[in-house]
Amino acid sequence: MIEFDRTTRTYGSKVAVSELSLTIPRGELFALLGPNGAGKTTTIKMLVGLLRPSSGVVRVCGHDLVKETRSAHRHVGYVPDEPYLYDKLTGHEFLRFIADMYGIPRDLSDEYIAREIDRFELHEFANELAENYSLGMRQRLVFAAAFLHDPDVLVLDEPMVGLDPRSVRIVKDLLKKKTADGMTVFMSTHTLGMAEEMASRMGIMVHGNLKFLGTVSELREQVDMETRNLENLYLEITSSATRVT
Amino acid sequence: MQKQLLDIPQENQLSRKLRRTLAWNIVTSTVHQSRFRFGLVLVLSIIFWAAVFCLFYDAFSFIDSMHAEVISLLFNTFFSALMVMMTFSTGILMYGGLYRSGESSFLLTCPLRAETIHAHKFTEALWFSSWGFILLGSPMLIAYGIVRDAPWSFFVMIVPFIVTFVVIPASIGSILCMLVVAGLPRLRLHALSISFALVAVGIFWISWSTFSSTKSQLLTTAWFEETLSRLAMTEQVFLPSWWLASGLLDAALRGESPDLTNQSTREALKFLGLILANALLLSLIASWVARWTYRKGYSNLQAEVPIRKRRQLFWLDELLTRGGSHVGNPIRLLLVKDLQIFRRDVTQWSQFIIFFGLLGLYFYNLRSFNYSHVYASLIGHLNLAVVGLIFSTFTTRFVFPSISLEGRRFWILGLLPIDRDQIVLSKFFFSFAGGLIPCLGLILLSDSMLGLPWSTIFIHLMCSLALCSGLSGIAVGMGASIPNFRESSPAKIAAGFGGTLSLVLSAMFIILLVVTVGFTHHFNLLQQTLGQVPLDTASQLLGSSGGQVVSLCIIIAGGLLATFLPLILGIRAFRQLEP
Repeated sequence: MIEFDRTTRTYGSKVAVSELSLTIPRGELFALLGPNGAGKTTTIKMLVGLLRPSSGVVRVCGHDLVKETRSAHRHVGYVPDEPYLYDKLTGHEFLRFIADMYGIPRDLSDEYIAREIDRFELHEFANELAENYSLGMRQRLVFAAAFLHDPDVLVLDEPMVGLDPRSVRIVKDLLKKKTADGMTVFMSTHTLGMAEEMASRMGIMVHGNLKFLGTVSELREQVDMETRNLENLYLEITSSATRVT
Repeated sequence: MQKQLLDIPQENQLSRKLRRTLAWNIVTSTVHQSRFRFGLVLVLSIIFWAAVFCLFYDAFSFIDSMHAEVISLLFNTFFSALMVMMTFSTGILMYGGLYRSGESSFLLTCPLRAETIHAHKFTEALWFSSWGFILLGSPMLIAYGIVRDAPWSFFVMIVPFIVTFVVIPASIGSILCMLVVAGLPRLRLHALSISFALVAVGIFWISWSTFSSTKSQLLTTAWFEETLSRLAMTEQVFLPSWWLASGLLDAALRGESPDLTNQSTREALKFLGLILANALLLSLIASWVARWTYRKGYSNLQAEVPIRKRRQLFWLDELLTRGGSHVGNPIRLLLVKDLQIFRRDVTQWSQFIIFFGLLGLYFYNLRSFNYSHVYASLIGHLNLAVVGLIFSTFTTRFVFPSISLEGRRFWILGLLPIDRDQIVLSKFFFSFAGGLIPCLGLILLSDSMLGLPWSTIFIHLMCSLALCSGLSGIAVGMGASIPNFRESSPAKIAAGFGGTLSLVLSAMFIILLVVTVGFTHHFNLLQQTLGQVPLDTASQLLGSSGGQVVSLCIIIAGGLLATFLPLILGIRAFRQLEP
């Protein structure tokens, strides 16, 4: 569903992402980890079409993000780290806009909007202007918008920021259910516990290179047995100059 | 679920619906939350429109006898200047809207065409850059039509002429913006800077060569004809501004018979058709350019590496930091912080330079004309009011929100060993010191260009000092009394109830001071100039030396009251505040 084919992105002389080749199949939750400046955000921006790769190809559901941008976007739901909301739209109006944009017929869109409002518990403030929302409310609304059109691919950049524990639980349960139903999830996060709990596979990116790709158990097998804690494993990989895989 | 990609009409309909919903919500929320401000803006806009209308009505009545020689040149000069300004303003707005806004980042991740996103932001930019044209152009044209006894069709055609015309420079600005971003990413900044510099030099050269006549004496017929001949460069048949001017002039023609009137109207419609056709063509070209360059340009711009400057301590910052006693150190350090933020915020200092620079340019050219002593005095008082009003817009727009903007950073200040009083006082000193030099300098320039006596200059300088102090006190005091720590946009903070109240109080203070000094000084001047003047007792008293002294006392007292009262109230409120 997601394919990076020798994808490179440079910023001037700096290589932000170097020859990334990665395929994420249907129904997988993939977590991308890495220190600040590793290239995670650049990777995500290429995946959602904000950045064009300097070389290589990025595909979503078989559509090239550069040549078939709209067709690719049709399949994608995106929750950025700093989501944008129209301050002068209510939550309900914003969801209506999203529904119309994805071509959801009117009779279905009412049902889907009600479903997401219910799912993310937006009832209390759905008819208030977004300018009055707290960070947590905004994040929940953005999640609702991302799930509204039942995307085949969900891209999440630090998704749990601003969410209270109840909302975090709602999102986790939803992601598990959706991936079981066949949705592909690409998640960038600093929260190691979340990656360990949720991800089918994970990648650790350092200086634009994917230093590790695999499951948590595979990661543990390849590193010194004394450092079984994921945090220690992660710190060892990100500080090591040697490629593990 | 089968998701459909929208076709072009559906995307445009979606965009229109979004704008309608946003506009409606903005209006209803403004009316609901800021009725005072909404009402004030509405009333002031109507007053402004009416004042501009009366001004133009008098002007067109005055030059009606010279209609054939003058009006075409005036219209062409006005519309061509507006055209150039709109091209640049729309280009700048489109740059911000297409490439730097959160909305564009959001829309680019949605299944929308690049040209649809462009059209959406273009409409927004068009509104922002053309409202000034509409506000100035509509009273001017209506006044012209009334003076010239234009047929009813002229008044009907004003709106379509303006609406179609503004699309032309806006489209050109948008196209240039997208081409520069996509085609010259590395040289973008240099290309824009060079373009601005060239245009600024060009405008300066044109203005200088037009008005600095050495051949004819000022305000004579020969000087007038010479100046008009220099403005003739704007009457070029390929310029859209010429089409607009010619179309409006034809539309306003009332012939000797209805047939002749209808013929002129048909000519006007041809020009309207010409403008419309070119507007549509340029919109289409802009759409094509967006389709082929927008996403690529956006990506290239994202990939630009910002130049990391190694910033050394500025000499003034160092002087403020190290100079003075230990007791005043916290205030000086806060001043240094605000000074650094001001210098690095292009929005603030560029507006500051533009407004005060334009005033300086106008004041400098005052020497070009000969005035009677009384007339020069009147202009001097008006210039004093203008300087005060300009400064009050800055205090309302930037100084008033300054305490509220500390909101997100307030925890830093809260932890430091400084009093809240010192925070408020540092804002006051920053505003007062920052405004004092330009305000005093401009008043000195204005009065010396007008050839006013030193006694008048002294009074005006005292007034200016009182204005700087009082306006700073009002803005800082109100800002400390009614802060808004939740909002991060200074424009929104200034647009709230507190900002509006601050603006109204500032305007009242300016009027009080200028009217006080104006009345007494003006009557004094009348007595000196005309000798025995048959004035009533009150006027004679106002114009006497005693009246002068009283006005000076009012200026000083008013300045002190406007400074200290709001500051004291603000400090008290700020001490008890829990952010």
